[in-house]
Amino acid sequence: MVYFRPGDAGKPQEWAMIELQGTLETRHPVPFSGRFIGDLHFTHKDVPVLIIGHHILYGKLVSLEKPYGILVKDRQADTAHASYTITAIIRKKLLFKNRPKPIIANVPKKL
Amino acid sequence: MEANESINTRSLEDIASVLDFAKLDRSEIKSETQSVYFSEHLDSESFRLLELDKAVLEAIENGEKVVLRGDKEDCAVLCTDSQTFEVKQGEISNAMLILPNIHFGPELSTNDEPSVRYNEVNSVMHSFFELRPVKPRLAKLRQLLEKNPYSGQAEEGDDDHQGKKFTFNELLDLVQGSENEINTALHKMQALIIDGYWRVLDFDFLVQVMGHLLQLCDENDWTHSGVPIEECLNVLQELYPRSVVEHVIHNFCDKAVPTVSGDDDEENRMQIDIDYHKLNEDKVCRFFAEQILKHARKFNLSHFLSTWEKSVPEGMKTSLYQLEGLALIDRDSTPEVISYMTVDTLPEDMDERFNFLFRMKEKWSLADITPYIKDLETDKMDVTAMLTKVARASMSKGIKVYNSRKPLT
Repeated sequence: MVYFRPGDAGKPQEWAMIELQGTLETRHPVPFSGRFIGDLHFTHKDVPVLIIGHHILYGKLVSLEKPYGILVKDRQADTAHASYTITAIIRKKLLFKNRPKPIIANVPKKL
Repeated sequence: MEANESINTRSLEDIASVLDFAKLDRSEIKSETQSVYFSEHLDSESFRLLELDKAVLEAIENGEKVVLRGDKEDCAVLCTDSQTFEVKQGEISNAMLILPNIHFGPELSTNDEPSVRYNEVNSVMHSFFELRPVKPRLAKLRQLLEKNPYSGQAEEGDDDHQGKKFTFNELLDLVQGSENEINTALHKMQALIIDGYWRVLDFDFLVQVMGHLLQLCDENDWTHSGVPIEECLNVLQELYPRSVVEHVIHNFCDKAVPTVSGDDDEENRMQIDIDYHKLNEDKVCRFFAEQILKHARKFNLSHFLSTWEKSVPEGMKTSLYQLEGLALIDRDSTPEVISYMTVDTLPEDMDERFNFLFRMKEKWSLADITPYIKDLETDKMDVTAMLTKVARASMSKGIKVYNSRKPLT
């Protein structure tokens, strides 16, 4: 069974997504938990701008034609009939599909 | 990525220096910045993404039952009350970062003071489940029920009737379809519940029951005046379980519409306090045709027609349209023949179905082929659309006929 768990106001919890090309990496293998990813800005025309490391990415807001449900398996003793709950819905995402622009460091002035 | 930054500690100065580094001027952007971190409890295994078709989302939001059926993930189907969807895993090369909270451009604060808000990504996904509308495997439903057709109460204990019997819920799990679709299919195959299990009636048993019913109707002239249900049941339940007789009566009779008052014909007047049903001529005649065809499978057409005419109850008239979806007439052979053919035994896959039909007969008229493909119709494709896709039309003896576009296998 797939149940739907409404949020506090009786309406579904609305979550969001940021979609990036490729995968995020760190220079050295370290756990990701708690790590800073980047700063998200919006231009006055509401274009999202994401600065991750040495890259600047320009993206756009996309309303999903088919929203994603967050499907959680309910913990149950009876595994013969598993049930699931949709705890939230994602209706919009920030899609960054343009090639990231590398940020070129300032060239030190000749002394 | 920045190293050694603990969560939610970025300052406005940190942000400003990155903007400077990126050569992005403060005047080009809104004043509120969101600094995005991975959550301390980053977990990409705790949930899955399920792409929601409009019908599924609506069902969930309305609190309707939505069920996932099937043991392995790659064979699962998702069912609302009335629709069935195949669940497939879609992988993409992009990374999908999931955030429970985020502000989009129009939601950001409009004051001019630079500010920072912290947001967390709780998981990173590379795949999601997508839904594809499908038709439930109804042929399987018939197969399951035919393992143990009902032949009468006394026979239930014998060797032929030790096959598995199924409850509605068991059928839902095995056939993997929505409740409405399964119910409709059960109704179409004239199945009924006996002792909590869904059963189909063995054909020879049905012939027996009908034999008694029609004899009773004939003796009491109920064919003309209508069948009084209670009286009829009281007689026949001596021979067969009441629920079985009721089921058979309802399959072959229509509820009687009382005649308009002012009709002085005593014999035909319905008495309004008794429940009457009238035998449905088309269904009864079709049933007799089925009895004849099932035995020999293929018949000389004119021989069949005269046998059929003589077999039906007195006062009933046979017509070819009553055989739609039951038999196929070949007018090109000499002599003309008629063969028993029902849609239930045909392949369920569309390409296989058309391959089978065109192998059997090269050219089909719309009227002839429709009963054998109508069950494949979907929201997106009706009979005409299907034929446009797989067949080529031409004229033959003044009628439009279809033959296969593709070579047959």
